Amino acid sequence: MPTITFSLKDLQELVGKKLTPDEVGRLVEFGKGEMKQFTKETDEVTVDFDDTNLPYLWSVEGVARLFRGVLGMQKGFSRVTLKKGEYSIIVDESVESVRPFVAGMVVKGKKIDERLLKQLIQLQEKLCESYGKRRSKVAMGIYPFDKITFPVHYRAVKPESARFVPLDFSKEMSLGEILEEHPKGKEYAFILKGKQLYPLLADSKGKALSFPPIINSAETGKINIGEERFFVEVTGTDREAAELCLNIAAYALSERGFEVYGVIVVQGNKKTITPSLQEEKIKVPPEHVKQLFGLELGKGEIKTLLEKAGFEVNSSGTVIVPPYRRDILHAYDVVEDIGIMHGYESIGEKALISYTAGGTSPKAKLSNLLRELAIGLGFQEVMSPVLSNKGILHTNMSLGNDAEAWPGGFSTIEIENFMSETYSSVRSWLTPILMEFLSKNNHVGYPQKIFEIGTASVQQSGKAIDHEKIAFAAAHEKAGYTEVRQILDYIMRMLNIPFTVEEIEHGSFIPGRAGAVIAHGKTIALLGEIHPKVLTRWGIIVPVAAVEINVGEILIAGMATDNKR
Amino acid sequence: MDIKKLISGLHTYERKVLPLLERFSSVPELAEHSHLQEVEVMRALQWMGNKNLIALREEQKEIISLDKNGEAYKAQGLPETRFLRAMSGIGREASLQEIAKAAKIGQEEIQICLGALRQKAAITIKPGKELLALMTSHGAELAKKESLEEQFLRRTFPCERKDLREEELFAFEQLRRRKSIIRLETKKLKYASLTPLGKEALAYGIGKESTSDRLTPAMLKSGAWEHTSFRSFDVAINVPAITAARKHPYARFLDEIRSRLIGLGFTEMFGPIVETEFWDMDALFMPQFHSARDIHGAYFVKEPKYGSVPEELMARVKASHEIGKGTTSRGWRYAFDAQRTKRNILRTQGTALSARMLASPELKIPGKYFSISRCFRPDVIDATHLPDFNQVEGIIIEEGLTFQHLKGMLRMFAEEFAQAKEIKIKPGYFPFTEPSAEIMAKHPELGWIELGGSGIFRPELVKPLLGKEISVLAWGIGIDRIAMFNLGIKDIRQLFSHDLEYLRNAKAV
Repeated sequence: MPTITFSLKDLQELVGKKLTPDEVGRLVEFGKGEMKQFTKETDEVTVDFDDTNLPYLWSVEGVARLFRGVLGMQKGFSRVTLKKGEYSIIVDESVESVRPFVAGMVVKGKKIDERLLKQLIQLQEKLCESYGKRRSKVAMGIYPFDKITFPVHYRAVKPESARFVPLDFSKEMSLGEILEEHPKGKEYAFILKGKQLYPLLADSKGKALSFPPIINSAETGKINIGEERFFVEVTGTDREAAELCLNIAAYALSERGFEVYGVIVVQGNKKTITPSLQEEKIKVPPEHVKQLFGLELGKGEIKTLLEKAGFEVNSSGTVIVPPYRRDILHAYDVVEDIGIMHGYESIGEKALISYTAGGTSPKAKLSNLLRELAIGLGFQEVMSPVLSNKGILHTNMSLGNDAEAWPGGFSTIEIENFMSETYSSVRSWLTPILMEFLSKNNHVGYPQKIFEIGTASVQQSGKAIDHEKIAFAAAHEKAGYTEVRQILDYIMRMLNIPFTVEEIEHGSFIPGRAGAVIAHGKTIALLGEIHPKVLTRWGIIVPVAAVEINVGEILIAGMATDNKR
Repeated sequence: MDIKKLISGLHTYERKVLPLLERFSSVPELAEHSHLQEVEVMRALQWMGNKNLIALREEQKEIISLDKNGEAYKAQGLPETRFLRAMSGIGREASLQEIAKAAKIGQEEIQICLGALRQKAAITIKPGKELLALMTSHGAELAKKESLEEQFLRRTFPCERKDLREEELFAFEQLRRRKSIIRLETKKLKYASLTPLGKEALAYGIGKESTSDRLTPAMLKSGAWEHTSFRSFDVAINVPAITAARKHPYARFLDEIRSRLIGLGFTEMFGPIVETEFWDMDALFMPQFHSARDIHGAYFVKEPKYGSVPEELMARVKASHEIGKGTTSRGWRYAFDAQRTKRNILRTQGTALSARMLASPELKIPGKYFSISRCFRPDVIDATHLPDFNQVEGIIIEEGLTFQHLKGMLRMFAEEFAQAKEIKIKPGYFPFTEPSAEIMAKHPELGWIELGGSGIFRPELVKPLLGKEISVLAWGIGIDRIAMFNLGIKDIRQLFSHDLEYLRNAKAV
């Protein structure tokens, strides 16, 4: 969710109307934004925009455009007229496998001041970081026009074959060195990982402009206040996204008073003039408005609302989408804007049409029954995160590997991109979670009797499988096998499930005091006295006995028993 | 109070102590004659005091008792007397060493003796190569007599300071300055005396009624209970607190949400927490380049890396993403990665369950579905963020539903879940709904809160999963804020609290 800041005064000038901060807060809602802050001293407004597909709003010029529409001060959009220029970018085919798309424009005729520079840099950064996916998909560069000799060449070169002084540095570096040494190089090196050739923009005299999407040249790539002619380029891996970014910049700069000159992109025999400023057309059947919003609007009303939203409607009723928007996939996307401009508050409310019977699943019902039994047995319910770690699940439970935790074997599901070791695995069974709980409550009065019910996930024969489980732990001076066996017996008796218990060897339990519970030919539970090794690891100061039951298996075993009757 | 009832309520201890109060008043005496422990007597006195049977008086007493040296001097005499007596044996002039040896006085005591005897003018000291003591005639007199201090030591201890005669007081003050001879302690002593009510009770006779503390099975069997009266209890008395097992407060809160939703006609949905990107995102028409899909937006599972996805359905979803096939959409226009869609992640949003439901043969139209699902997103843990959280969300599917029904439903939710009568609906953005809206609700105590998000599922989502276009209203409620408010907690981490004391003592309302 991009957050942008701008000066309220700047906004008022661009809108052409005085606005209070409250009015700004209300108006940004039409762009799915939320005003976070207004600082009177600095005159600065901060806005969060929800919609990641509306990047034109990420600078004050776009926000002002939205407001002019909502306030009825502008209908549709006012087109940027592209001036003809003798500027071109010659694209070498070597970029094809590296970063194939490039587009550019030249803007002239307005002295850049601090406020404008700030907005320009903000727009550039938001477009590259957010919409351009950290510059990987799209990156934009801005250069002082006067230092460049056209045509500009875009090609991919060997990392050591080009050298220039990058911004913020004073020594000449090769592209390879920039990636290794320059802070921006290190930050964005991931984009070029595995590439043999790196992109390079240079002018006709061979002077480097930049190493896109990493860094500009210190000589030709730094803008200063007071300058009034610039070259703007975008490169990327997605033509549509790159073109959109350039269109957005063209509209923003044009509204600031710059004249926009086209740049010809030459690819072999193909010549394209950029920015494309291409307008999309879409048919929006009026009945869609009724379908989505239940509103009966006439064509005229719809047209008015569309123009408020910055669309144009041509004589055949087709909607024209401005070049700075590429978020319209379906007519519904346009209809939503009709609804927004109409005002969500002024749309009616209706009761739902049909009655339906609510309910839940047999497994959820069984889980609830088990909780009821557990509480009746005097066990306190606890609730823990599903995320855990191998230290808790195995090491502290004195298990050699994953497969030892449950008869039949499984392995723990680990997270590749965990943020903290504490939450690096999905819990594979619940008994360790209860041990963790007990270890944190040594100071609380005993006996401590606790249970948890919930999901544990494991990897079994190449698949991730969820198990709904309930585990009990009794911790007190006399906690022992009998107590947990009684719990098991009671539950099975209540659910009418016949079972047998077999002695098992299990690292977490005292040898000779651990059992696997078999019902309907399957292991459905484990129980026993926790091994003192485990208790010591956890720092638990009293004996603990535990039983863990697989609720899903109980449901199956219960149904099987029912069928026999 | 009825005297009979009062007597029948007397505890065994009280019955033993009460008659003794005609003769005794102090705790030690009462303990001795009742054959009870002092603490038992104290408890009896406390109870009887509460019942107004006795009056309790507290006195501060200064008690004098003999200390270690005092006991010894009582038997052997004071060292200075022994000094004089030894001199009487040796001669009126003798070396200190000689005297000490004869009187068996230690080095430390010698100094005290010299001080005390010179003060009484019993001896003089003659300096020289060896210190010599000369006994005065007064000293010779003193040697024959028992000193005041010695007389004092022979009296009965412990005694009270206020009972001392004048000369005893003098001796006491003298000895008190010396090391470990006597001890002076201030004690609070309790004395009890009968009140008129106590006397009345005794006159009535407390032995007349036979009372029992407990009803026993034997009494029931023999019928003895018919002739037994039971001691009545002080029912207003405080008793020790107990704790009991119960549901986890947060689980209980979620149960409540569940039952409300079922009451509103919703059916609960379930699904796996290890989910493929297909159901979690692709089926919801979230493009594969969407920023919520990178490593900062979802937890990726190490192994198994891939799950299975229904191929035919996947082909439809792919075509919908790429070119909007099946609807009038132009699609996201990118190359859908059919391998990536199988990638296993931890479920990031409950909406995955709605996607599964739309494609399920169990789906009923019209239908209402909800889920309370554990979801996971990479997040730095703090007071407002957990990587592991619950989402409450659902769908309503029926031909002809519009945004107006969505608003009606949201008002109902605001009332059900936030006790809010007022709601605000703002334009919002979710990749899977068009239109999308955010709901604010005016909570009676929290003020305006973000209740959740909602919208109408995009046709590009519905068509591939269901095979036809139909209105599906989707909603999600941010339940944590309301849960924290209802449970009276300020830190989200406390939702999964591992504090047993909190779980035992958290208020149930």
